[in-house]
Amino acid sequence: MLQLRNIQKRYGGVTALRDANLTVNGGEVHLLLGENGAGKSTLMKIVAGLVERDSGQMLWNGNEVFLKSPAEAQAIGIAMVHQESLLAPHLSVAENIFLGREDPNPFGFVARRKMAERAAQLIEQHHFPLQADWRVDRLSPAGKQLVEICRAIQHGSSLLIFDEPTSSLSGAETEEVFRIVRTLRERGMGVIYITHRLEELRAVGNRVTILRDGATVHEGELAELTTNQIISKMVGREVTAIYHRNALPAGEPLLEVRNLSVKGKLYDVSLTIRAGEIVGLAGLIGAGRTEFCRAVFGADPFDSGTIAVAGKTIQLNSPREAVATGIALITEDRQLTGLALRLPITVNTTLANVAAVSRAGVLNLGKENEVTAEYIRKLRIRAASGQQLAGRLSGGNQQKVVIAKWVFRGARVFLFDEPTRGIDVGAKVEVFELMDELARSGAAVLMVSSEMPELLQVADRILVMRQGRITGELPGRTTQEEIMHLAAVDTKI
Amino acid sequence: MKQLHRLLPFLSLIILFVALAIASPHFLTSTNLSSVVRQTAVINIMALGMTIIIISGGIDLSVGAILGMGGLLGTMAMERGYSIPMGIAIGIGAGLLCGLVNGTLITRLKIAPFIVTLGTLGIFRGLTLIISKGLPVHKVPEGFSFLGEGTVLKVPFVLWLLVACALAMHFTLEHTRLGRYAFAIGSNSAAAIYAGIPVAFHTTAVYAIGGMLTGLAGMIEASRLMTGQPTAGQGYELQAIAAVVIGGGSLHGGEGSVVGTLIGAFIMGLLSNGSDLLGVSNYVQQVVIGVVIILAVTVDELRKRRAV
Repeated sequence: MLQLRNIQKRYGGVTALRDANLTVNGGEVHLLLGENGAGKSTLMKIVAGLVERDSGQMLWNGNEVFLKSPAEAQAIGIAMVHQESLLAPHLSVAENIFLGREDPNPFGFVARRKMAERAAQLIEQHHFPLQADWRVDRLSPAGKQLVEICRAIQHGSSLLIFDEPTSSLSGAETEEVFRIVRTLRERGMGVIYITHRLEELRAVGNRVTILRDGATVHEGELAELTTNQIISKMVGREVTAIYHRNALPAGEPLLEVRNLSVKGKLYDVSLTIRAGEIVGLAGLIGAGRTEFCRAVFGADPFDSGTIAVAGKTIQLNSPREAVATGIALITEDRQLTGLALRLPITVNTTLANVAAVSRAGVLNLGKENEVTAEYIRKLRIRAASGQQLAGRLSGGNQQKVVIAKWVFRGARVFLFDEPTRGIDVGAKVEVFELMDELARSGAAVLMVSSEMPELLQVADRILVMRQGRITGELPGRTTQEEIMHLAAVDTKI
Repeated sequence: MKQLHRLLPFLSLIILFVALAIASPHFLTSTNLSSVVRQTAVINIMALGMTIIIISGGIDLSVGAILGMGGLLGTMAMERGYSIPMGIAIGIGAGLLCGLVNGTLITRLKIAPFIVTLGTLGIFRGLTLIISKGLPVHKVPEGFSFLGEGTVLKVPFVLWLLVACALAMHFTLEHTRLGRYAFAIGSNSAAAIYAGIPVAFHTTAVYAIGGMLTGLAGMIEASRLMTGQPTAGQGYELQAIAAVVIGGGSLHGGEGSVVGTLIGAFIMGLLSNGSDLLGVSNYVQQVVIGVVIILAVTVDELRKRRAV
């Protein structure tokens, strides 16, 4: 139904797509794979009418089309399931579903009740845990994602594009998305599905197209490829996705948290991380892992409990005190809270330690450039120069800049919250290596992750949280089943 | 191509300058040019303060009222027998204090700068009118006129002042920790907080600096009129904001430069001077300036969109 041939797209001096090809048939789930920066998003924006191509052909049911807006794409039956950020937070679920297609009566009034009824039908039909009159800003990320899906399918589209639909969802919610995708496929619709989670592929996909550096390098049946083949085609070289850390003898306790409680979120959470250790923190979405990190970092107040760094109990009122005692939080949403995207790498690298490159409030820009160049080299950050804007880096390189910022600050306790989110396979291993180097240099590292295989590869031991409590501790060489048992038992899904 | 876009505001300024030189024989006279400089100096100096505020992601709608307050208190001090430098210092100090009030309210109450300064706009102006009982201060010493009308080495004194302020602001923005933090807070305040930066302190400092420069601008305005007008500066805030924005400053924060702001202010100054020389009515002038603001921002947005 959709055919793309030799698509090219340039942004200023940057080539996003050189030679992209993609064929999607009705009744199939087509996986679009590639590292960050390979051009997947640009290609999908072209299909959805958000971006115009420079050259190449786009055929829709055999006819060449030029789409100039998402409305035109929707009119011919192509819709995109966007990330949650494209919803209007103050409007209801129903209003969001029908946004832009309110279908007003001849006087221009919106038929609210009819809209609510239709939304309720749609929700019921798919068994979504939603209510038509709920306000969108009160929904969890997963709920918002479901609203996006409703929005896309109610248009009566014949081709749906899912852009990483499960990146913010828990296991059960992910299953639900898969079920929906399969239903759509059975109805004869075409689905293009972008994901970074290689484990997901086989649960949903039929055929794959792999992009690398703006060009299609492989098109074919999913069943014919092993996961390792997929990875090497994406990266363009042989990569072992499996990383193994050799633990070293742990030193003195660096971070000691005792009975940390936040009403409704955390209950008596205690943990100790020693110098040289990488401790994993597993659990389902909403188990309280991010809340724990934020409380230890001083970003959220806690009701009771103590936090000690290197044996000294600290008072926390804000991240400032945490940073001063050597605690670093590498947040899960680095674009929102980790980096100043419109400022260069230099500024971001020294942001938490400007004092070290200034004297009496006056900056030493030469020294700042030297420091940045050193980190670019040491952390293998792929950037043209320190003057490149942080926002122009790929996800993996952005994460390295965040790490550089904290290393330059001299942090000793590193809290990594979902360190590999939105990072491609090659860069993930590099991030693990950096975490290992940090531990080897005597830092205490906490790794919060929903990617259990990654925890098993990196962590020396794994703590599991459920509903605000630590439910158990497992050795690093445990199994996913053991973790899931502690993380999910007793929860009714 | 990219460089050309960046130079566009500067090129527009030069084209405007040349066009006016051709169109009007009176334009290139030293009297006229120094009058342009004197006219724009007030807005220019205010706009320098507005630059760092806008870079930090804020806005100050109360600068017009601060200008009135500074000018009035400074001239009142002189009227009561304080020396001229003392009077000027009091005017600047009043501006600084007003800026501190703005910054403190914004950081303590955690209310959007737009709202806080909309409120203080009324408060400062009202206080100025209450203190002066609505009457201008006329009794100022003769020598005070030097600030706004004097000449040093054949160049208007205010131009020297402007150059000094611009250099100081440029240095602050590009070479000091305060300037760096202003950019960081404006670009991503959450990331700034998470990096352990004392955000409230530096935000307050930014508004205080803006207020201080506005106080100075108020004294220049008073010196040019040789009067402390309690109503001085009405509507100036929009001109100061326009100058920053024409010069590439972004109201989203994190972007802006001293050179850009100066160009922005001079473009507006030349437009108004040129209209006067060519006999274009005041009414038409306003339309032209409005169009220029929208045009400048559009071009700048296109450049940024292309760059991403």
